Amino acid sequence: MSTCTHCKEILNSTKRSFIMIAPMLLAVIGLVGLLQSVLTPEMIHSIFSGNAVYDMFVATLVGGVSVGQPFISYILGGELLQEGISLYAVSAFILAWVTLGVVQLPLEWSLFGARFTIVRNLLAFVFAFVISFLTVVTLELVL
Amino acid sequence: MSKKQKPKNRVSWIMLAITVVVYIITAVFNPHVAMSALEKSYEIIKSIAPIIVVVLFLMAIFSTLVKSKNIVKHIGEGSGIRGWFIAIFGGVLSHGSTYIWYPILAQMRSDGAKDGLLIAFFYARAIKLPWIPVMVAYFGLTFTILLSVYILLGAVLQGIIADKTSAG
Repeated sequence: MSTCTHCKEILNSTKRSFIMIAPMLLAVIGLVGLLQSVLTPEMIHSIFSGNAVYDMFVATLVGGVSVGQPFISYILGGELLQEGISLYAVSAFILAWVTLGVVQLPLEWSLFGARFTIVRNLLAFVFAFVISFLTVVTLELVL
Repeated sequence: MSKKQKPKNRVSWIMLAITVVVYIITAVFNPHVAMSALEKSYEIIKSIAPIIVVVLFLMAIFSTLVKSKNIVKHIGEGSGIRGWFIAIFGGVLSHGSTYIWYPILAQMRSDGAKDGLLIAFFYARAIKLPWIPVMVAYFGLTFTILLSVYILLGAVLQGIIADKTSAG
């Protein structure tokens, strides 16, 4: 195949891929924008109770539906820690923030299928608990 | 998870239509929130548009020039330890929002990439190299190292579990 034919094929393939993902990408971006406007840091803050196990569960759920740059979860996590929320919950929160994506679920589902999406997100949910627990326990042993 | 599903464009259009309806309802009841959401969405589009174009272009080059058997060799069945290294380090080094990576990973999957390795890639992305100094500043160096090590272990474990469940 000549280089030019390759170029044409590459450009056509790029166009086709763009047309295919554009509607879902726009939908996801639209929902992310909406969530960022509705879900304020104050709202996230008010959900925690002070009970470590309950807070870990809530933190994973809240982190999973939250959207934005990872550093926002660090800042919020730092504030929660100062307010007395356990490090278990804060770790689960920052982990779920980057590994779970409730808003992106439809896009993941449409590209990878139901089984892959469910398995990946379930594992990410469970591991937010496991890794947070292990991290804090090890930290307490080390320090 | 052996069935490789073709993307369904109809679902995408339905999802977009639902989003538009949600925006219209929000605009009726709270125009300020709707406008703020639109502005935030526009900012996101501005920031990711160049990355999307590059990723789609790379994807096209990839699918045109790289043969499926090479994908299978590096991250498919029987790729061994090398496959895990590629998945984990690829995940750690990859940048941008996760959904930007969906199309290229979905294509790799249909070319024969193992689900377990893709899941490991996704989880390893939890380590955000550029933001590590911020995490250290908030939570300390020991916490950051421990969390990162457990994330890497967790990524491999999840990949193994995913492969076991798909085999079972």
